[in-house]
Amino acid sequence: MGGGPNKPELVIKGKRTDGRDFNELRPIKITASPLENAGGSAYLEWGNNKVMCGVYGPKEANPRHLADPTQAVIKCRYMMAPFSSLSEHGRSGPNRRATEISKVVKEVFENVVMTKEYPGSQIEVYIEILQGDGGTRVAGVTAAAVALATSGIPMRDLPYAVSVGRIGDHLTVDFNMIEDNYSDSDMPMAIAPRNNEILLLQMDGDLTKQQVLDGIQMGIDAGKQITEIQRNALKAAYEATTK
Amino acid sequence: MRNIVLPGEMISDRPQRIENTYVENGRTYSKIMGMYEPNSRGVIPLEGSWSPNTEDTVVGVVMEQRNKVFVIDLRFFGRCLLVPGKFDEYSFEPGEIIEAKIKEVENRKTIVLSDGKLLEGGRMIRVKPKKVLRVIGKKNTMINQIREITKTDIVVGLNGLIWMRGGNIELAEEAIFKVEREAHTSGLTESIKQYLETRTKSE
Amino acid sequence: MTMDAMDTVKASHIRTMIAGNAREDGRGAYDFRDIKLTAGLLQNAEGSAQAQIGNTTVLAGVKLDIEEPMPDTPKQGNLIMSAELLPLASEAYETGPPSPQAIEFGRVVDRGIRHGNCIDLESLFIEDEKVWTVFIDLYVLNYDGNLFDAGTLAAMGALMNTKVPKVEDGEAVREDRTKKMKINNIVTSTTFAKIKDKIILDPNGDEEMAADCRLTIATDGEKVKSMQKGKSGGLFKSEIEEMLGTAFNKHKGLKDILESSQV
Repeated sequence: MGGGPNKPELVIKGKRTDGRDFNELRPIKITASPLENAGGSAYLEWGNNKVMCGVYGPKEANPRHLADPTQAVIKCRYMMAPFSSLSEHGRSGPNRRATEISKVVKEVFENVVMTKEYPGSQIEVYIEILQGDGGTRVAGVTAAAVALATSGIPMRDLPYAVSVGRIGDHLTVDFNMIEDNYSDSDMPMAIAPRNNEILLLQMDGDLTKQQVLDGIQMGIDAGKQITEIQRNALKAAYEATTK
Repeated sequence: MRNIVLPGEMISDRPQRIENTYVENGRTYSKIMGMYEPNSRGVIPLEGSWSPNTEDTVVGVVMEQRNKVFVIDLRFFGRCLLVPGKFDEYSFEPGEIIEAKIKEVENRKTIVLSDGKLLEGGRMIRVKPKKVLRVIGKKNTMINQIREITKTDIVVGLNGLIWMRGGNIELAEEAIFKVEREAHTSGLTESIKQYLETRTKSE
Repeated sequence: MTMDAMDTVKASHIRTMIAGNAREDGRGAYDFRDIKLTAGLLQNAEGSAQAQIGNTTVLAGVKLDIEEPMPDTPKQGNLIMSAELLPLASEAYETGPPSPQAIEFGRVVDRGIRHGNCIDLESLFIEDEKVWTVFIDLYVLNYDGNLFDAGTLAAMGALMNTKVPKVEDGEAVREDRTKKMKINNIVTSTTFAKIKDKIILDPNGDEEMAADCRLTIATDGEKVKSMQKGKSGGLFKSEIEEMLGTAFNKHKGLKDILESSQV
């Protein structure tokens, strides 16, 4: 974030470096239930991001002393594959960034999953970033929601996530990697579409109060499209086998 | 018209008691991905784990014996115990397959079983618990036609474990997996019947 | 992995079937399941391939970094192979440090490719004290037995598809990756399971669990490049001879799959 002397031009003739408008998402493609063993799964491509997500449970909480007798415990792990970035080989295993993302993503699903229906159990959500190109956490949440739906676990809603940021004077939706690195501000969020409740919100850089509010609205507007893609992916997985 | 509904999808703009839905601010929403026909009793799940109910028939494997109580593996996350009644004299060995009925479910995670019965020989397969009702069919029509045409003994556990013995067991198994795959389609009983008959003739 | 009662039931069913020369999925003893290999499916990695053998899915990603050579091979690049049994791939896989199973998997695939001299490591020399290190990461996405053969196919497929970045002032310019990495040799792996006195090829997850022992043979069609026996059962020389013969016979078909995936 911020820039430095080598900051590239992010806006050329009113368009972004990849030709998008400021409120335009990259192409998103979701496949529901690609994995055989996982209780629920989803594969998502969002621009050049590629994400595999798998869900297990509800099953007996392990270790047992972490079980909550009143509701299910959600465990979430977000990880970047060592070959996921264009730069050098990444170290495997969770680092501080991945640990933080795992935590905020877990909190999204603690909100929507009806954990009270499975006291004493645990539900595991695994998000593997196979290829990263800016916005992997929002891609991960969007995929995980679909994976959870395919596992049949009761949920209040099918959340999606999107990021909105600022390039100069322009509020901009869905940063790619270059924009992510050089923009002035970034604000990833996850949203429950039925009532537009915000379930994840992070922000860094600098925005005015009004920009925060306008940014959230921009995320909600873009979210209509993301919700549609999630829903179509789920329906397609079941309608395809009808014939 | 049956439609696929998804979690958070509004089913009704007033509060209604419909299975697998919840009410919020006077509106009714689906809480799962499932099939829903307006004004029907509930959303029929397309996926998911099994929630045990009293009187359910289950199939499981004996894990161990503690005093007179047997610990049974039903592929369910909670504990499952077969407790002998006054007149029962069970003598099961670990690894044996049994059929039993659910007597009680405590706190949604401890299952107490009764009426344990040994299922000797044969084999066991597993289908997704939410598809089991289709394998059984309305008034047992699906499972009965599989039994009749393949001449296989079949016990279906609502927990997703199915025991089978004898007859054209390979065909019976294939038919059950076919039902599992195509569970959400209509006219399934008839298409499985045709499948079984064609396969039986060709063999 | 401990065998629970459920597995015991399944294992005894499989053992009975195999004793009667039958397999659950109707395959012959020396048949592979359907194999699908997709190369070049990732763009940030220098090389990638995903191998599916039946329901076993392994993704391999290759990254190249500029590092120092090993002291005993100052004119050669380095090869580092790791494997992750992702927890989304099986109920039995857990988070945490690599399990012995994951370490064995990575090392067995590594040995076949290393001793097969598959990568021309000399072509990865840049200048004194600077060589390319080839990182191969194996990602298991779904487990249904025979990781070794799927892992070797994925790794080999990814290597054949790897492009070496341009070097400018001793730094990698990854946007410019037009040069294919030089491959000297193609190694394939063939895994057998033994159940009582019967040998089967490409055991699925249940068969692997039911088996007395397992043998993985990596070959380039000329020589045996590595072997690994697993599980506690024993093998006779005559059985090994038969498996070696089959491994050599299967090499051509697997090599064809590798070559035709590179388009």
